[in-house]
Amino acid sequence: MDAILTVDGVSKRFGGLMALSDVSFAVERGAITGLIGPNGAGKTTMFNCVAGIYTPTDGRILFAGGEGEPQNVAGRKPERMTALGVARTFQNIRLFSALTVLDNVRIARHCRTSANFFGSVLRTRSQRAEERAIIDAAMENLDFVGLGETALSPAASLSYGDQRRLEIARALATDPKLILLDEPAAGMNPRETEALVDLIHAILGRGVTVVLIEHDMKLVMRICKRLVVLDHGVKIADGSPQEVRANPDVIEAYLGKGAAHA
Amino acid sequence: MRGAAQSLKYLLLAAALAYPLMPFRDVYVLHVLVLIMVYMVLAMGLNILPGFCGLLDLGFVGFYGIGAYTAGLLTIHYNMSFWLIVPLAVLNGALFGVLLGAPTLRLVGDYFAIVTFGFSELVVLFLTNEIWLTRGPLGIPGIAPISLDVTWLATLLGVDERWRYAFRGEVPYYYLAMVMVALVFLVMTRVEDSRLGRAWLAIREDPMAAASCGVNLFAYKVIAFAVSTGIGALAGAFLARWTLFISPDMFKFWESFLVLCMVVLGGLGNIRGALVGSAILIALGEVLRVALPKLGLPAETRFLAYGLIMVVIMRFRPHGLFTQVAESTMQSSLIKDLRARIAARRTA
Repeated sequence: MDAILTVDGVSKRFGGLMALSDVSFAVERGAITGLIGPNGAGKTTMFNCVAGIYTPTDGRILFAGGEGEPQNVAGRKPERMTALGVARTFQNIRLFSALTVLDNVRIARHCRTSANFFGSVLRTRSQRAEERAIIDAAMENLDFVGLGETALSPAASLSYGDQRRLEIARALATDPKLILLDEPAAGMNPRETEALVDLIHAILGRGVTVVLIEHDMKLVMRICKRLVVLDHGVKIADGSPQEVRANPDVIEAYLGKGAAHA
Repeated sequence: MRGAAQSLKYLLLAAALAYPLMPFRDVYVLHVLVLIMVYMVLAMGLNILPGFCGLLDLGFVGFYGIGAYTAGLLTIHYNMSFWLIVPLAVLNGALFGVLLGAPTLRLVGDYFAIVTFGFSELVVLFLTNEIWLTRGPLGIPGIAPISLDVTWLATLLGVDERWRYAFRGEVPYYYLAMVMVALVFLVMTRVEDSRLGRAWLAIREDPMAAASCGVNLFAYKVIAFAVSTGIGALAGAFLARWTLFISPDMFKFWESFLVLCMVVLGGLGNIRGALVGSAILIALGEVLRVALPKLGLPAETRFLAYGLIMVVIMRFRPHGLFTQVAESTMQSSLIKDLRARIAARRTA
């Protein structure tokens, strides 16, 4: 398997709580991997470790973004991870809500642009060209998720489902190689969820690998090629949706002891 | 409506430009107007921190003081030209901003505010006690006024004359202050509508999401601090060469609070708001200074009025008079172009 991301024995401790203990799995390049498990299993903590918000207490996170050897990125700052090509969305939507839809996506071009204070004040030729390129890239990503026409509205005025799409557009605007989607379908109605499935496949079509945390089991079973199951910070299963569905440990984690035999 | 507002703006600008040339001009009114413009520069500078980056800075006056003393000392000891002093004072203010910011900007919220407050008190204590340098509480009197020496231009043109203009009275300072406000306004609006300004606003809105967009939080906060303190020092340098006397008690904590009130009143993160906030609070202060004694109250009760205004604002307009952030962005030609493109797409 060609792995874009390899999580190798990662643990994360908060005081006396082991949020993750010795978790290992690999994410296949160009496929959709699902990270599932009951509430409090450590899924978002895992995302935060990969995205650089947390430094793992122990273990390695190997990222193979481009050509060359995979490098250990455990403990890198979030902005470094974004520059390397790891983008993410948040479980509880985190938009820049006082700004416009366009500005939300323009900010995401930060890591791929370079104008500084003096360029901005003097409006140099390269700064102006860069600003134009930023708008073009932002609009391309907004059109990709279908929000192009709302570009100049305030981000806070969007519907809940559209705010989730805007978060995805913002993440895509950083030109990632790997995108981490934290419960993208939460709070969506069935029609919005259907559109989300198409969107996720389109993201894959752009050559971006997708990892998603999701509680909608029907959705997960349908679109993921591989699943990783966490429970109380421990990986309990790993494999194709069919394998995971049949795993007694997984059934027990979700439905309680004895359910596997019922 | 928009056209009317635009005309009113130009009318006000024309009136402001013409006023000092009118026969009915008043030296006191001119003085207050210059003071308002000094505070406009301060408010625009402070606005960067709480307004753009969401950092509560209670010690802004410390940098105002650093700028004023840099200008004052360089003038009396080296008789340096104002035009050379300005960049030096701005750099010195920015340097101290970085020196204070680099170790403390990792603090968040109230902790950071307390550090900045402590720093401004430190500046006042330094200015009061380091008598060898600052003459302590006696202050520095006899600072030379600004002069504009363009004899080099005369030499260049082959004219054997001394082209030197010394600033006397309020009128030249009035026009210079206008230039200063216009320049800082231009810098601020351009920065607001740029990669840098957007990174700052992202930090204010949601630091974690900003970092996930690739913004290095610490570096951009330090840049914000340097720009903000540099502008504060610019206002200080002007003050020193305008009032021609500086002393430590001109830079007490109260001033930081006043500038913060201006920014909050105008609207956090709005550049026009900072201008309007300064005009209102300084003008009001002058009116109350005259009006209150007539009512039999001591002039100091005007501080109560400031407090009352802030309470009323918090109650009825908690986001200030102008609530729009990133205002200049919406007026840029690129965005107007985009707006037209989107409208064309909708009709198609």
